[in-house]
Order: sequence, then structure tokens, then C-alpha cells
Amino acid sequence: MLADIGTILTGLGLASALYAVFAVLWSMREEDERWWESGRNGVVAAAGLLGLAVLVLLVAFLQDVFSIDYVAKHSSRSLPIYLKASAVWGGQDGSLLLWAFLQALFAALLLVRPSKEARPLLPWATAFMSLITSFFVAMTLFLSNPFELSQTVPVDGQGLNPLLRHPGMVFHPPALYLGYVGLAVPFALALAAVMTRRVDDWSKAARPWALAAWLFLGLGLFLGMRWAYDVLGWGGYWGWDPVENAGLMPWLTATGLLHALIMEDRRRGFHWWSMILTMLSFVLVLFGTFTTRSGLIQSVHAFARSALGPYFLVAMGVALFGSLALFYGRRRLLSTPDESQDLFSREGVFNLTLVLLLTITGSVLIGSLLPTLTEALTESRFEAGPAWFDRVTGPQFAALVLVMGVCPLLGRAVGAVRALRREGLPTLAGGVIVPAVGALVGFTRPLSLVAFAVVGLAGGTAVAEFVRAGMRRRRGGEPLLRAFWSAWGRNRRRYGGYLVHLGVILMALGVIGTRFYPFETEAVLSVGESVEVKEYTLTFADLERTSSGDPVSTRASLAVYRHGSYLRTLHPSLDEYTAFRQTVAVPAVRTGLREDLYLVLAGWSDGGSRATVKIFVNPLASFLWLGGLVLMAGGSVAFWPKAKAAHLSVPEARRRRVVGTAAVVVGLLVLIVAAWAMWGGSGQTAASVGRAGQGEAAPAGRSGRRPRVGEPAPDITVELLDGSAFSLSELGGEVTVINFWSPDCQPCRDELPDLQAVWERYQARGVTVVGISLPNLEDDVVDAVSEFGVTYPVGLDSVAPTEYGITGVPETFLVGPEGNVAYVHIGPLSADQLEEELSALVAE
Amino acid sequence: MTGNTKFIAAGLLIVAAVAYLIVTSTGSTAHYFLTIEEVQAMGSEARHRRLTISGAVLGDTIDYDSSRPRVTFTIVQMPGDPREVERRGGLAKVLHDAVNDPDAPRMDVVYDDVKPDLLQEESQAIIRGELGEDGRFYADEVLLKCPTRYEEGIPKQAEES
Repeated sequence: MLADIGTILTGLGLASALYAVFAVLWSMREEDERWWESGRNGVVAAAGLLGLAVLVLLVAFLQDVFSIDYVAKHSSRSLPIYLKASAVWGGQDGSLLLWAFLQALFAALLLVRPSKEARPLLPWATAFMSLITSFFVAMTLFLSNPFELSQTVPVDGQGLNPLLRHPGMVFHPPALYLGYVGLAVPFALALAAVMTRRVDDWSKAARPWALAAWLFLGLGLFLGMRWAYDVLGWGGYWGWDPVENAGLMPWLTATGLLHALIMEDRRRGFHWWSMILTMLSFVLVLFGTFTTRSGLIQSVHAFARSALGPYFLVAMGVALFGSLALFYGRRRLLSTPDESQDLFSREGVFNLTLVLLLTITGSVLIGSLLPTLTEALTESRFEAGPAWFDRVTGPQFAALVLVMGVCPLLGRAVGAVRALRREGLPTLAGGVIVPAVGALVGFTRPLSLVAFAVVGLAGGTAVAEFVRAGMRRRRGGEPLLRAFWSAWGRNRRRYGGYLVHLGVILMALGVIGTRFYPFETEAVLSVGESVEVKEYTLTFADLERTSSGDPVSTRASLAVYRHGSYLRTLHPSLDEYTAFRQTVAVPAVRTGLREDLYLVLAGWSDGGSRATVKIFVNPLASFLWLGGLVLMAGGSVAFWPKAKAAHLSVPEARRRRVVGTAAVVVGLLVLIVAAWAMWGGSGQTAASVGRAGQGEAAPAGRSGRRPRVGEPAPDITVELLDGSAFSLSELGGEVTVINFWSPDCQPCRDELPDLQAVWERYQARGVTVVGISLPNLEDDVVDAVSEFGVTYPVGLDSVAPTEYGITGVPETFLVGPEGNVAYVHIGPLSADQLEEELSALVAE
Repeated sequence: MTGNTKFIAAGLLIVAAVAYLIVTSTGSTAHYFLTIEEVQAMGSEARHRRLTISGAVLGDTIDYDSSRPRVTFTIVQMPGDPREVERRGGLAKVLHDAVNDPDAPRMDVVYDDVKPDLLQEESQAIIRGELGEDGRFYADEVLLKCPTRYEEGIPKQAEES
């Protein structure tokens, strides 16, 4: 029923989008306003219908409608609601539907309060947008319909892959899709501009869309990086996987597009650049989708089904060659008036920036396709690993940062040397100070010092730009803070841009630190043992297996000291998702300005008394995240149009106010999401979320967490083998040894004589020993008790083990005279160990 | 020189530099991408070279010593060409067939690292490293993908490096 509604809505959406294409084209042919009106209605209807289809899918997830195959494969009853909602885009079918909807939505948004530059371009742009929408809706409907019914209706769904249960993953796909969809708008506008021969104003019309798309795409990549860092536990954030590259490439060309659009204001000669970059960005979006779905590229996470691949390839070809043919046909429209340009002028440097962005994109593309390319060209297949990408793109990124530092200087004064003498002091200072500080803090590898110098040059320039603008107004007599505020407020696009540059520079610091000085080691630690790693000392305190259910989480506690003084305790954990037969190592990170200490629990042995820990030290990693946030903030500021403009007409002013408010909301949203994903929802949350989902099924009352040393021991009442009852609270302050065991566990049997020996020696001194086993093995328990001659009380109970959070046997607890847990031991215990602990308690 | 030729010359210079970087990097840091069959056909020539090998993981052979840590497991021959995989009925089927073919070439892998989350029966392993003197493959990077359960893929790398 629900499935039929969804399919019908999608079908109607397709019909509306196709109708809109037809009506708009017809209106241009007939020059009839009424057809145009009708076409616009078609666009809005398509957006509405597809929005409803997404809503229906959402309802299907929330209601656990497992008769729909897609829902059954990506959700389960126990998932928390927000993860059920995000499962809508957890797989290919749903994400394609979401993409189609967003595409329709953007086509509709383009029609809402268009700027005066965009207005003449609207008919053609709308036709192209609706055509693109139709393509995506058709792909969804005919090749991967999320509303398809399954053959059999499962009782419960398969659930969401544990690795995806992370807040970063909730927002990462929609942010990417918003970016992808956003890039279609400038493309449609560019085609419209060429069709209508109105290329002069299109940059103003395209700019807000290009900026928004760039911002969302950046946010998507950024969240993906943070997710990798928080969840995957390999200590890194970017692995140069083809799927990551597929997202990076359009972002690089979109970055170029933004620069070209800015230059187009000043020099008409950038038409070619911006048209080509718009087209490339859009084609690369299709290419990314194609590669991840077609299996052309060997990737860890290529989508398996490949029916979509050929269609995307065709669409890519049409977009690429169609627009190239169009541009070529109208080349006179786009041709540059031959201005004399200097290689080292502002234009020259912009050209250089764009070339570099393109060569980086090209390098990444070649790297992603290297196995296919080398097989075609030579006999053998070569494959590019992270080392290849680092080596090829590293110098190019460095050159880009260098250009970024030099570019603003060239804007004002002709001649690089004169500019450097007049305004280059902060630049040079940055170029000296940053590597000097780096060297002092201990980053001394020559190549990294060069990289630091480059970053310092660019950083000095960016900071100087901010300060200089403020100081100019300060001289005008304004108070300091207001001077800066108004100076930056007057040209938000420009200073937003510099803020983005500053973000890039901070990120570059993070990249240099983590790539030049990676450090990782492993340690096998017994409880209480320490290991020295650089200036840190890590002491393994204990291992805790929390709760039953799914996942079973094993959490290590490691106290971290630096130069002997205590910093904090980190808890890396291993979560076993039994339903998925998958173990997820959740890292624990101690974030510092200089470096991150990143711990992964690799495994444990000897019943939890030994743990293997992977230790990463990631220098300057926090600069990466800080830089990302600054970059996002800068983008949002640039999005914010000029506030006061008295000369504007009333509707235009209102339009700008609306856009401005939207920009503020979007910017805030972006920052909040980014910040939350980074600090609010670190890896620990991902694990606890999974647990909370299972918590509903767990018995009410105590959560079954193992009590820690110092905490009150949970009271238990156990029926003993002789029929009497044992109650902890009625013992009245006796020191008690509680041993959880099972007769079918050999280590448990081995320790019975030891416990018996302790009992015989300490009984007279007011110590009680009690053994607790599960009720279903009563006969075996009785046998074991008689076999080993156990005389201390032994009982059978199923509640007590949950009260003490037991997930494995043997485990032993020592309760002190005040009723607090004095000692916890996971795994077999020897008489000597137990006596050592006991003697401390009894002597008190 | 007019303005434009200057720009074109500068642009070509950059492109040439990047092309040089790509070619030299491919020589020095790119890996041969081979199947188990191809590696075994090369014999001793395969040693002392950076190799990337893909194969299907045999679940029973996975042995993890968490105290070192070291994982050892065996992978089975499967086609390296994605198109070939597609022709044989998709990744899931190819992996399943490979694991159940007792005659398919096999290779033992040694990976001195933490056991990757996704290492399990019938997952596809893409392994980078070198062939050791003992005929076992010493991996320094293991990438895994599991087609059956996670058909939709994991949107970011599940990588252990």
C-alpha cells in the first residue's frame, strides 16, 4: 500500500518534470507566457510530489514496513528513530530518490525570487534543470526503486551497518547530495546564458548557487573525514579511496569555478574558465556516481549493483560533448578581448590558481583510473596507493598554498618586488615565524620546514589582510572593535574569502603534521602495566565488558600521563555486533593543540587481564578540524550579501534580505552540524547509540553495568544449594568474595581449590566467600562442588550476574566492610592474588 | 610574445611538471596489480616488488594473535578485472565460488597488525605488500569489501593501514 503510493508519487514526479521541460520549451517557441506559467507549475509540482515520495519512504522506515525490500535491508526495529530516519539515504535506492527530490527542489528554488541577472536566463535554465531532474527520477523509478516489495516479509530488518551509526554519517550523504545538486544550477545557468547569448551577467546569477554547492560539498567531505577519524580506527582521515576522490574532484573544480566567477566581475576574459569549470564540475559529479556504481574502479566500497553505470556514462557523455559543442559553436561569444596581461598580475595569478586546481583534479582522476589506464597502455596493471597520491598532489597543493599567499599582494602594486617591500612584511614574517615555531616545537624535518614556510607566507598575508582593513578605519577614529567589524562587514565576500584561505592554511598545517610525522606503535599490556610512548605514559587500568545484547562492548581504561602528570583516562573499546557478525573498534582520542593521542583497542587475552592497544600520535591533527570549521565559517560569511544598500529598489532590497536570512540560517546550520559531528558526537556516541537501541529490550532497573571499585556493591539475594538464602545486605559488614563461575568452564574449575583454600584460611577472620552459577546447570554445579570439596556457600541465580554486569566467567568481586566494591577481577584468580587483596582489607 | 602565448607556455610548463610527477610516481610508488594466479606464474620474479593482490578470504583460515598483533589468513584466486567479475554473475557469486573451489590457487597472507573489522569469510581482500622468501605474502595494508551483507557499500573507507 505505502509502497504503491511511493511508486505512484515518483511516477507523477517524473511526469511533472518531463511536462515542465516540454512546456518551458514550448513557451519559448510560441513566446507564450501561459506556457511558461504552466511549466513553472510543473517544476513546483515535481518538487512537491518527489518531496512527498521521500516522506512516504521516511514513514515506511519509521513504521518498520519490512515488506519494502529497501526498508528491510537498511533498518531494524531496534534502531533509534534518528538512525531510522537517516537510513532513508543509507543505501543506493533511497539516496537516489533523495537526490532526485533535491534536484527538483533546486529547480523550484531557482524560480523563487530570482535575481535580476538570473531572470532572463530562467526559461532555458529551468528546461535544463527539469531535464536533469527527469533523468534522476527516471533512474530511481526504473532502475533502483526504493519502494520495491520484497519476496518475503521478514520479521525484522537487517539493520544499519554498525559503522554507519554515527552522527557524521547522518549528515554526510545529504550534505554531499546538496553539493552535487547545487552544482547543476550554475551548469544550467551557463547553458542558458550561452543559448540566450547573455553571458555578461551570468556570473552574478550563478555565484550564490556555486558558493552554496561548494559549501555543502565541502561540509560533506569534511564530515566524511571526521567520521573516518572517529569510527574507522586506523588513525587517519583520508585514504585516497576512489570514492573519496569522486567527491573531492568536483569540489576542486567548484573551488576553481568560484575564483573564475569572482574574476569575471573584473575581467570578461574569464568566461571561458567559468563555463568550462561549471561544466567539468557537473560532469565530475556524474562521473563520481558512475564510478561508484559501475564497478569500473576497484574500491573498497563501490556499490555492487551496476545497472546504473551505463546510463550515467551516457549522461556524462551527453553533458560533456553537448556543452563543449555548444560552447564551440558560440565561441565568439566567449572569446577574450585581447587585453595585455602580465603573468604576475592579479589575473595571471588567478590563471595559475585555476591551472593548478585543474592539474590536481586531473592527477586525482588519473590516480583513480590508473589500473584501467595502465592496463590499456601497457601490459601490466598498476595501482595507485596513498603514497602515489601524496607524492603527486603534495607539491601541487603546496604550490597552490604559495600562490594563495602571494596573490593578494599582486593585486595592489605592480611588480612583485615592490609589493613585497611595501606590504610583504607580514607575509615574510609568517614565512619565517611558522617554520621557526615548528622547529622549536620539534618538527625538524627539512621538507616539513619548507612546507611550514609556505604555509607561513600564505598565513601572514591572510592575517595581514584582516588587520590592515581594520586599521584603515581605526585611523578614521572609530573604536578598535567597531572599526574591524565595519571594515569586514562592508565587504563580506572578500573577507569571507580570506577567512576561507585562513581555514585552508590551518588545514594545511594539520596535513603537514599528520603526513610528515605519522607515529604509530602497539603495546601489549597487563592490568597495571605501563608503556612509554614519546612523552606519554599509558597505564592499563582495567577491561570492562558492558551489558549483554547487541553490541557487546568491551571497554579498556587507560590512564594517560604526560611527563609524569596525569592527563585523563581514555576508553577505547571493541563493539561486537553479533547480528552483523562484525566487530567495530571504537578509538578514543585525546585531542591537544600540538598533537592527538589516538588509541585503538586491538584485542585482549587471558580473560581480560591483557590488552593489545594500538597507539597513534597525530601531530597537529586538531588544526585540520579547526581549519575546516574556519573554512566553513568563511564560506558562510561570503554567502551573506551586502547588508545595507540604500540605492536598491524595495523588492530587490527585500529579496536580498530574504537571501541574507537564508544565508545566516544555512551558515549557522552548517557550523552547528560540523561542530556537533566533531565534538558532540565523537566515536563513543556511535557505540552508545547502538546500545541505547537495544536498551529498550533489556529488563528494567539497573542497567547491568559492572560496578567499579569504590562504588556500592549491588545487593543480591541468592538461593544456595542447601536451600537457604544468601543475602549480601544481611551479612552486616563482612568482607565478601563473590565469585561468578560456571561448571563447564575450565578456568573456573581450576580456581575452585584456590577459593576453597582462601575460604578455609579467612573464614574465622570474618570473610565470606560465595560462588554463584547460572541455574540451568544445577546438576553439574552439584557434581563440581563435591568433586572439588567446596564447602563455602554456592548458589544458583540468574539475576545476580546481570546486577554485576557479568558477560563472561570467571569474574570475582571483593566487597569491603562498608559494602563497597573493593576489587574486581576478570578472568581466573589465584589464591595468592586474592589473599594479597584480602589482607589489605581485613587488616584495616 | 603576446599575452596569450605567455600564459599557454606557463600552463604547459605546469602540466609538463605534473606529468613528470605522475610518471615517476607510477614507477616508484605505484603497485603491480595482480591476481594470485599471476603472482604464482611469475615465480621468484615476483619477489622484492611492491604488489597489490586481490582475493577471496577463507574464513576458517583466519588466525589472530592479538598479543603481537598478527593476523594470518588465506586468500583464494578470483578474477582481478571488474568486468570479468560482472560476467561471472557479480562479486558475491564470484567470491562464493572462489571460496568453494578446492582447486583454485591460494596464497597465505601475513599481516602484522590489528585484525580488520571486515575480515571474514567470503570478503574480498585487496592486499598491498611484498612476497616473502617463504612464499607467504607479507601485507602492510589490507582493504576489504563484503558484498553479501553490505551490498550498498560503506560510504567511506573501511581501511586498516
